[in-house]
Amino acid sequence: MNFFLIAIIIILGATSANAQITKAELTATGLTCSMCSKATYKQLISIPEVEKVETDLNRTAFILHFKNGSAVNPGDLKKKVEDAGFSVGELIMVFNFNNQKAANNSSFTQDNITYTFMDSKPAILAGEVKVQILDKGFVVEKEYKKLSRLGKQYPTYAGINNNLFHIKTL
Amino acid sequence: MKKLFFVLLVFFSLKTSAQELFVFTEPASNMPAKSVGIRDMNAFMFEKDGKLNYHNMPELMWGINKKWMVHLQGFISNRQEGGVKAEGASFYAKYRFLSNDAIQSHFRMAVYGRYSLNRADIHQQEIETMGHNTGYETGLIATQLLHKVAISSSISYERALDNKPGYKFPETESNSALNYTLSVGKLMLPKVYKNFKQTNMNLMLELLGQGLNDNGKSYLDIAPSLQFIINSQARIDIGYRQEIYSTMNRTAPNGFVLKFEYTFFNVF
Repeated sequence: MNFFLIAIIIILGATSANAQITKAELTATGLTCSMCSKATYKQLISIPEVEKVETDLNRTAFILHFKNGSAVNPGDLKKKVEDAGFSVGELIMVFNFNNQKAANNSSFTQDNITYTFMDSKPAILAGEVKVQILDKGFVVEKEYKKLSRLGKQYPTYAGINNNLFHIKTL
Repeated sequence: MKKLFFVLLVFFSLKTSAQELFVFTEPASNMPAKSVGIRDMNAFMFEKDGKLNYHNMPELMWGINKKWMVHLQGFISNRQEGGVKAEGASFYAKYRFLSNDAIQSHFRMAVYGRYSLNRADIHQQEIETMGHNTGYETGLIATQLLHKVAISSSISYERALDNKPGYKFPETESNSALNYTLSVGKLMLPKVYKNFKQTNMNLMLELLGQGLNDNGKSYLDIAPSLQFIINSQARIDIGYRQEIYSTMNRTAPNGFVLKFEYTFFNVF
């Protein structure tokens, strides 16, 4: 038990805050019309950390550009889409990494949020890397059910926590 | 009568056509949280002797959060002596309790309630808490969106009370009704989206029925409409409502509806 605690502390301590989130690509579900997209756009642009939002109306997709050095919480993006009346079908975040070790079940913290690698190939990540948020409410229901079956390998996946997200490198 | 409704239901579910911002009914979806909408409905209904009944119903709508929205509505008409007069008002609330979203589709369910006050005389057997009767209505709505097509259906219980100040609801008449609606809509234009400024055009067809609980009298109306959405923010609806059949007394069932709506995003 103590060994685990120490190991966790070492892992967390060794890999905190050396990345930055620059962009996000969000696909919203539950809508088609441009009025619905506009409602979603208006919610997303109201996030203080967001500098610009590009919209692909045909795919109901939004590219969010974040302000330099701002702290971004994926949970805030999800809440805004849900406030518009819709859901998140896919959320891809662009991290700017500085030699981040990626291995399944290993974590790093960024702006007080812990990101745990899941279903990812081992690698050392440097520069801009796209990662997908895999937690409930960030993927379509079918995908979530599929991922839930990996539950034994990823003990933290079942919980919903606005400070802990599971990511897959793309 | 019920058979006809189900025949039409099957027919329209096979041959569907609009999005879900219906003209004569509300979908199970809500407006965005923290947004405010203003709406003005103008109805030009023809009495059987040719006299025109004009109803104006200004409405203020507020999306409290993703599950709750409320409307305040006023009723103005030219039906009373002395020209166009304010006759009443209503409060409406809708709670969306189910929402299953997928890529360009959703299924939603909501419950709603309305309480209305009205100061006009009671002049028909039809019960209508929007602009005619003091009373309340409570119902259930289910809406399915499938890419460019939306289908919505509702069932509600409507109860008429005495109108103000002294217009008693006649004891010999049925003071409650069951309403049912079926609406289909299709996004016709644009075929491919380029930006928010493109005008959207929706085509809609709605069936609106009522059955009076105490005497079994009923009606069924059909209401086609055309809707334009401008700058993804403003709505103009042009609709026509036509009685298919009725066994109850109704003053002016047929006529045109012209509706304007504008949404202010992120107000509260």
